Amino acid sequence: MKKSRHVLILTLLVVALLPLGAIVPAVAQEPVTLRITNWAGVEEAAEFQQIVDEVNANNTEFQIVYEPKPDDYYTQLQTQLAGGTAPDLFWLDQDHMAWAYDGVLLDISEYLANDDRDVANPEDYFPGVWQTVALNDGVFGLPWIAQPVVLYYNRDIFDAMGVEYPTADWTWDDFKAAAEALTTEEHYGFTLNGWPPIHMFIWSFGGEVISEDLQTSPIDTPEAIAGAQFYADMIYNPVCCPTEEVLAEEGFAEMFKAGRVAMFMGGAADDLDRVEGLNVGVSPVPKGVNGENVTFAWTAATVINAKTEHPDLAYEALIQLTEGIHNWKIVSPRVSQATVEHLVASEPRKEANAEAILAAVPYMRAFRIVPRFAEWSQIFWEDFQDPLFHGEDTAENLAADARILLEDVLGD
Amino acid sequence: MTGDPGAFATYYPTLLRYVAVAVGLGILMYGLYRLLRLAGVKHEPATGFTLVVPWIVGFLIFVTFPIGLSLYLSFTEYNILWDRPKPLADPLFNYKRALSIRIVELPEGERPIQVLGTMEGETPETVRYREIGRFNWRGKEYVIGATDGYFLKGVWLTLRYAVLSVPLGMAGALGVALLLNQNVKGVGFWRTLYYLPAVLPAAAVALLWYWLFAPSSGLVNWLLSPIYRLLDMQPLGWFTDKSLVLPSFIIMGLWGIFGANTVILLAGLKNIPKDLYEAAAIDGAGTFTKFRHITIPMLSPALFYNLVTNTIAALTIFTQQAFIPTDRQDGWFVNWFIYNEAFNFGRMGYASALGWMLALLVILLTLLIFRSSAAWVFYEGARQEAGGA
Repeated sequence: MKKSRHVLILTLLVVALLPLGAIVPAVAQEPVTLRITNWAGVEEAAEFQQIVDEVNANNTEFQIVYEPKPDDYYTQLQTQLAGGTAPDLFWLDQDHMAWAYDGVLLDISEYLANDDRDVANPEDYFPGVWQTVALNDGVFGLPWIAQPVVLYYNRDIFDAMGVEYPTADWTWDDFKAAAEALTTEEHYGFTLNGWPPIHMFIWSFGGEVISEDLQTSPIDTPEAIAGAQFYADMIYNPVCCPTEEVLAEEGFAEMFKAGRVAMFMGGAADDLDRVEGLNVGVSPVPKGVNGENVTFAWTAATVINAKTEHPDLAYEALIQLTEGIHNWKIVSPRVSQATVEHLVASEPRKEANAEAILAAVPYMRAFRIVPRFAEWSQIFWEDFQDPLFHGEDTAENLAADARILLEDVLGD
Repeated sequence: MTGDPGAFATYYPTLLRYVAVAVGLGILMYGLYRLLRLAGVKHEPATGFTLVVPWIVGFLIFVTFPIGLSLYLSFTEYNILWDRPKPLADPLFNYKRALSIRIVELPEGERPIQVLGTMEGETPETVRYREIGRFNWRGKEYVIGATDGYFLKGVWLTLRYAVLSVPLGMAGALGVALLLNQNVKGVGFWRTLYYLPAVLPAAAVALLWYWLFAPSSGLVNWLLSPIYRLLDMQPLGWFTDKSLVLPSFIIMGLWGIFGANTVILLAGLKNIPKDLYEAAAIDGAGTFTKFRHITIPMLSPALFYNLVTNTIAALTIFTQQAFIPTDRQDGWFVNWFIYNEAFNFGRMGYASALGWMLALLVILLTLLIFRSSAAWVFYEGARQEAGGA
């Protein structure tokens, strides 16, 4: 009886281990599996899967498995990185590129230096976007999108009010005057709610929020104050824009789609110019003090996990995937692809406004990424923007206080 | 090869680990059994010990180890993205950072941030005192600064939430339990209905309330719209108006409290002997007197249980805020604050210290409730053992 029980236990253990024998030889013959993740929802994930499929079809050395994480992306990813189970490649938006300073991203500068393909050429990327991956004396990924903020305007409201359409030659004063002229009981001229980023206005007025050497936050210079004050004078001001209560009631972009706002600043890829029943035009944002239409670029990159077991193959996958994405997402972050033909081929629905979008591209800028960027941004919002928008103190006082706090973060 | 190149190939390492764990546990169980038997333990108890091994191992790995690790991390500087934590020159830095307060005179024309200064000692990063209040004393203005005013604000918000929501929830649950204790037609349906909140996922309930409280399209403001029109006022911004954040969370919290509390109190009501009410009625007691002198004392163990569990739940509220964004300036509940420190700002060491402080606060308040129980909780069994009624 006792002996038979021992035999039974041993048999169970052997049966449990059987799959190992079956798996190991089978895997040895397979190409290397690389994993990639991003935050894509159902539709975007299906489109991305097509790019992955194309890359897989052209490779025998590796095959990419795509694991979308549409919810709570960054928490999941951090947990995977901490647990050593993160995918080989993943997407990061520019705010999270600060992870490069924590050693979790692979520095690909050596690979790029030995690669003569266009997609691997740093010179072919817009500098304002490339700065989000060129960090800490290395290169930590390849940008896959550079979406400039452009000005969407409702032609019908402009026509009804007898105001001329926006052009790239508009100054901020022209813009403000138009926003006020377009405001009636039925509609507002413009809208702000913290978007677009105040950084864009500060840059346009000649100021900076983080210096080029990443050591200071000169938000109390006259130029920076002028840009911030311009923003503060418009936001929630019923002379030109919806109040906070109206925004809470009617939504933000929804008001533009409902014909309740004449001008809206949105990303170039947004669907605001194809809303049924709206006659919408697109223009670059007004030009700033140096005569350029400086605008904000929303950008993101595909990066490689520093702990990948296959860095060479992961790099190859990165290059091939990025090439595919540059023919899918608009606007491509590459100078050589900043053409109407390329943009329309990627997104035919943008044909009517392709030229206006491309006019904005040369002047777009992304954030300067510093270590502890999330903390820096939180202080910038809580101690400068939010109290400024609510008139809690003057821009000069708030900027002076906030600068101290921001530079504490930069200096550590 | 197109499409998915092989989920099986991707996940086989996980499968291997799963099998290895199962085999390892099997060997451990078998070894323990043999050891116990060799030590002279009889078959039955040896089998019992053997069968609980997986659960003990799980408890050690998934509960004891994280608790111990978080205590260790609370004395270090650690970002979840780093390979290992960095030691702190002052091991108590994280605790001091959370609680340091300074009061200084504010000279005329000076800004508080200029006079408050930074935390002294060897700190891994610059920690600045920030204004949390001001007062005048003997003709001079003073400013109160804290190194983490947001944490202190979070503690204050959480305590107010617990103090207000727990009694309200318990009173509401008691009222519903008394109603459900009546012998009315279809009482089973009502009991099921009132228990539903307890089985619904907290995340779904949070989103539901977020929609209910939406300023423009929410049901609550729609119902209140005649009053708004009558008083010529704007609809209330339930989760957006600073002064309404706490009331909104309290109203939402009551929903979840009703379900489980009501069932427990209902069970307590069913256990109260009828003869007590009959005897009181013979003595001429009215409804309120019976409620005050029979129902409440006899129900006090159940009320005590609810008080303890609800207080702990209120102090550790998390899910609701995770789904309902509010500004940090308006106050974040402590648990949400801790989560953000750990995952958004990369300060896992500091978050661990905050977690331990929250744990101590919860333990302290729970002990206080336990100490108070002697004065108001009636244990019939204890009374009988002591020779009482």
